[in-house]
Amino acid sequence: MTPVVALREATKIYRLGKVDVPALRGVGLAIEPGEFVAIMGPSGSGKSTLMNLLGCLDRPTSGTYLFGGHDVSQLSDDELAELRNRRIGFVFQTFNLLPRLSALKNVEMPMVYAGVSRAERLRRAQAALERVGLAHRASHAPPELSGGEQQRVAIARALVNTPSILLADEPTGNLDSRSGEEILAIVQELNAQDMTIAMVTHDRDIAEHSQRIIHLRDGRLVRDEMVPRPKQARQELIDLAVVSP
Amino acid sequence: MDLFESFSIAREALRANRLRTILTTLGVIIGVAAVIALVSVGQTVRTSVVGEFATLGPELLWVLPGKAREGSQFAREEGRLSLTFEDAEAVAKDADAVSGVSPILQTSIEVTSAGRRVTTTVVGTTPNIADVRGLSMQAGRFLSASDLVRRKRAAVLGPSLARRLYRTPANILGRRVIINGRAFDVVGLLRSEGQVLGLDLDDRLYIPVTTAQQLFRIDYASFIFVKAKDTASVPRALRETERILLRRHGEEDFTVLTQSQLLTSLDAILRILTLALTSIAAISLVVGGIGIMNIMLVSVTERTREIGIRKAIGARRLHILTQFLIEAVVISLVGGLMGMLVGLALSWGISTSLFNSAPSLGSTAPIVLLAFGFSAAVGVVFGVYPAWRAAQLHPVEALRYE
Repeated sequence: MTPVVALREATKIYRLGKVDVPALRGVGLAIEPGEFVAIMGPSGSGKSTLMNLLGCLDRPTSGTYLFGGHDVSQLSDDELAELRNRRIGFVFQTFNLLPRLSALKNVEMPMVYAGVSRAERLRRAQAALERVGLAHRASHAPPELSGGEQQRVAIARALVNTPSILLADEPTGNLDSRSGEEILAIVQELNAQDMTIAMVTHDRDIAEHSQRIIHLRDGRLVRDEMVPRPKQARQELIDLAVVSP
Repeated sequence: MDLFESFSIAREALRANRLRTILTTLGVIIGVAAVIALVSVGQTVRTSVVGEFATLGPELLWVLPGKAREGSQFAREEGRLSLTFEDAEAVAKDADAVSGVSPILQTSIEVTSAGRRVTTTVVGTTPNIADVRGLSMQAGRFLSASDLVRRKRAAVLGPSLARRLYRTPANILGRRVIINGRAFDVVGLLRSEGQVLGLDLDDRLYIPVTTAQQLFRIDYASFIFVKAKDTASVPRALRETERILLRRHGEEDFTVLTQSQLLTSLDAILRILTLALTSIAAISLVVGGIGIMNIMLVSVTERTREIGIRKAIGARRLHILTQFLIEAVVISLVGGLMGMLVGLALSWGISTSLFNSAPSLGSTAPIVLLAFGFSAAVGVVFGVYPAWRAAQLHPVEALRYE
């Protein structure tokens, strides 16, 4: 099967003034359809850079990046924008919702850029909010929502154009443990419905919800381990409820 | 991306910074209002002034002392003395296409009556000025041929002067008016003529030109009115007058103007004046545009993160560019619309209070369209750079912006 994403010998070098700072020093990585992969590493290991490359927000300095089997490392800014729009869903640590727009409008936004008709946008946005259990909060603006709710809106937004991969960058980093587990539960459910997921985290406990953990250090991939028995967020939520009623 | 969505995004963003939006819009409002008001008032001035001059009659010719030359001073000192009473008689006698000639000896002087003392224009002329200029009487009679021959001290008053001079202006026949120390009999009261160039034509008195020459010890005319038989014979009257005067003077030390020439040059002067004023007003519109650019640059910086988010979820450069451009255009169009209303109100107020004529809809429509187009253009011109800057932002850096 063709991997959803595949990096070959990818490097990324940032130029700060006159100094070259290598953030990635040759990373090879393939994520198969339906996989749930966690990317771990200490800060400065290149996690974010790798995420930006996978998310087509940036281009590798050298090496190739195959997205769905096609080399996208030479695409123009606008072509990358279209790729992000239609094939990639982003979930950020800080949610990155537009505070002035309602949850519904936020979820509609990727479809606006995809040229989806108004009626269709509304229908799909409502369906996406329903999928993350927030249909009743559709008209609320992000500042009126809790952190966990905001992240669920962000997930709805990421899913609304039916992407090939969901990229989550520390999705639980700004949440309390219970809201975090809820988000992980949604992610695991999506994965169970065959959504391919890559999640950056520095937390081993969070990473163990995935099926495979990739370890980065100093811009290199140092370990690629399978998780034999991923933690189940649903079960942990029940446990949490038992511990603290 | 549909335009409606862009407009609602722009509206949202503008609403979020209400005070800032209002202040920026104010810059455009002032600019557009100034342009519209000045253009419109300028047009009213032109039509009303030109119209007033036109009512003097299309058959009228002016003979002025001195030769108008390109780049030379009009009415030089020696030219001021070039026209005489006899010149007027010669034109009246020899020119076929002329129906009437009136020499005018005119000066501004203080006159008194029954203790009131006012400064007015004293016009020494011949009786046929009534026909040449189309004057009509409200009471009494105009100057007569015998007044002229006998150098009588007879005066015919304009209604404004009568009001300033007498407590009972309707009943002034037989009263006295003192000019230059001499008592004159008031023999007639004119009907109102109105104003030309803001000059009150009714604030003057007419006396026989012979009396005026004696009174002021002057024997030349300030200028001469020549009236052609009809509109069609104006060019012939012009040629004849010039020929006769040239023969008598031996040199061209005078200028003959037809009404259409006068109107043309007057119109040209007023047009230039309007244009100059409008250009100055247009500068304020440019300043308003710079205000838009300034605020849009601030807005782009403030919303760097929003731009990053939009780019991450698939906005292309054109989407971002359009979004910010529309915001700028919305500011300038709203400002343009409101400025238009303010400008029209201003011009209506000025026109009615100063010229007693409301600006016509036909003349304001093109200005309104122009101002509207211009303000939209201001939005695009000054909005495009900030919008371009927004579109060029790198998504990763924009997302990292705090």
